[in-house]
Amino acid sequence: MSEINNLTFPKTLFYSNDHEWLKLNEDNTLSVGITDYAQDQLGDIVFVELPEVGKILNKGDELCTVESVKSVSEIYIPVSCEVISVNTNLEDKPELINKNPYDKGWLALVKMKDKSELDALLRKDQYMNMLKGI
Amino acid sequence: MRNFAGYIMPLWYKTGAKEEHLSVIKHAGLFDTSHMALIVIKGKNARKLLQQTTCKDMDRCIGKAKKPLTPGVATYSLYMDENGGVIDDAIIFQIDTDIYICVVNAGMGDVISQRLLKFSPGYNLEIINLTDKVGKVDLQGPASPKILKKILLNHSILEDMKFFTFKGYFEETFKTTSEKVLIDKNIPIMISRTGYTGEFGFEIFVDPKYLLSLWDMLLHAGQEYRLIPCGLAARDSLRVGANLPLSHQDIGNWPFMNNPWTFVLPFDEHKTSFTKKFIGSNRLLDISEVSFTYPFVGYDLRKVDINQNAEVYNREDMNIGKVLSCTTDSAIGRNEIGVYSVTSPDKPDNLVIKGLSCGFIKTNTMINEGTDVFLKDKRRKIKVTISKAIRPDLSGRKPLREFL
Repeated sequence: MSEINNLTFPKTLFYSNDHEWLKLNEDNTLSVGITDYAQDQLGDIVFVELPEVGKILNKGDELCTVESVKSVSEIYIPVSCEVISVNTNLEDKPELINKNPYDKGWLALVKMKDKSELDALLRKDQYMNMLKGI
Repeated sequence: MRNFAGYIMPLWYKTGAKEEHLSVIKHAGLFDTSHMALIVIKGKNARKLLQQTTCKDMDRCIGKAKKPLTPGVATYSLYMDENGGVIDDAIIFQIDTDIYICVVNAGMGDVISQRLLKFSPGYNLEIINLTDKVGKVDLQGPASPKILKKILLNHSILEDMKFFTFKGYFEETFKTTSEKVLIDKNIPIMISRTGYTGEFGFEIFVDPKYLLSLWDMLLHAGQEYRLIPCGLAARDSLRVGANLPLSHQDIGNWPFMNNPWTFVLPFDEHKTSFTKKFIGSNRLLDISEVSFTYPFVGYDLRKVDINQNAEVYNREDMNIGKVLSCTTDSAIGRNEIGVYSVTSPDKPDNLVIKGLSCGFIKTNTMINEGTDVFLKDKRRKIKVTISKAIRPDLSGRKPLREFL
């Protein structure tokens, strides 16, 4: 497993305490995935159970499960939303999450109910400080 | 990294656990297993003590002819408790007529040494606990002999090396009758054709002062054969796929019976009695509590979490037991006919191998091979098939000449 400083955390993203990233797209939708730290901790990801498109989720609900060689982890959504689409490429290539967690390894695209919920999320520096235990 | 029985060990190295698992099956992998504990038993009554405390009958255990264990040969056995349960499993190496080395699990060196002392008053034995005093690396996978050949000074020793035999010594005190085996002119090793992966390979014992150079030398020599270092996760997934138990998880302080490993017990030809007495033997022959341990193979690679009290249910949704081990063997896949490994010669061309969940369950009822049962943890329910073994076409027992 890698040192925090050797992992990547893009400045433009929002982060949750549970190691998800969220990207606010131009059309106000959100792309969701797990951070470089999360994939590094989990190790090789071998299976992803994606949510159904159209599913309505409340803040804190389970979005999907990500299974690695080590364990099975639930991914919780940090905002209330509706699932608009999911990354079906992960069905055959779950390793995309390890290789490219912020781009090809995205999990789902969601439509937020209340944009102000983003305010409660962390930005890069806050997330990195949390990881370092500062 | 993970704390494993007091040792900080890597779950995987740079390439990741899946690649490490596959590499051992297709090429080669190197494991640092210096956490394993060694105990030396020396003296005229050494065999008597082992016959008493472990279940394998060392006078009738080698090959189909059930020959006695002799110097240069090793055997798998179990230290049993008074109730027929397992205290720990061990590989017992017979070094000389009256010298044996037992390799037990991490953290068990003291427990087993104490037990051996307890049962040997008046035996006039030397029992030496070598915990943390011996370095050990496992070189596993079909390319292992070619890699070793590059760095062994006297590589002809490999030519006639059979499964579960060993050569050389790591310390003058434990000289075997065999010749000295040297790596790179000056590193004495004890090398055995054994392992915990089911695949062709060796375990190498060495003075800790040479451990790092040996590790580096092996990795360097193995580069051209795609040798990579492997961590605990691959060690676990490989051993489950190879149908091998983890002590204190798949075997433990419950009666050792009705499981895939009863070949260790010294049954007589009628299978009703034992050829020798040992601690726990009477209890095993007269047992009222009944449990059954079976290997299973899943339909895809999703697993259940044994830390969440994963349980076993039959088709009628009755709880019939618990899950002992559950992991993913990434080298196997299945179709309607059966389970295939990436190395299976009869693997259908159109079968895409993504890995399957597998492991061991303990049930309170007998289940036939081929029956489907369900495993449930807090999160999910998966269907799995009770099977005799897990990963087919293991290379471990094949003749060495096929790999040189």
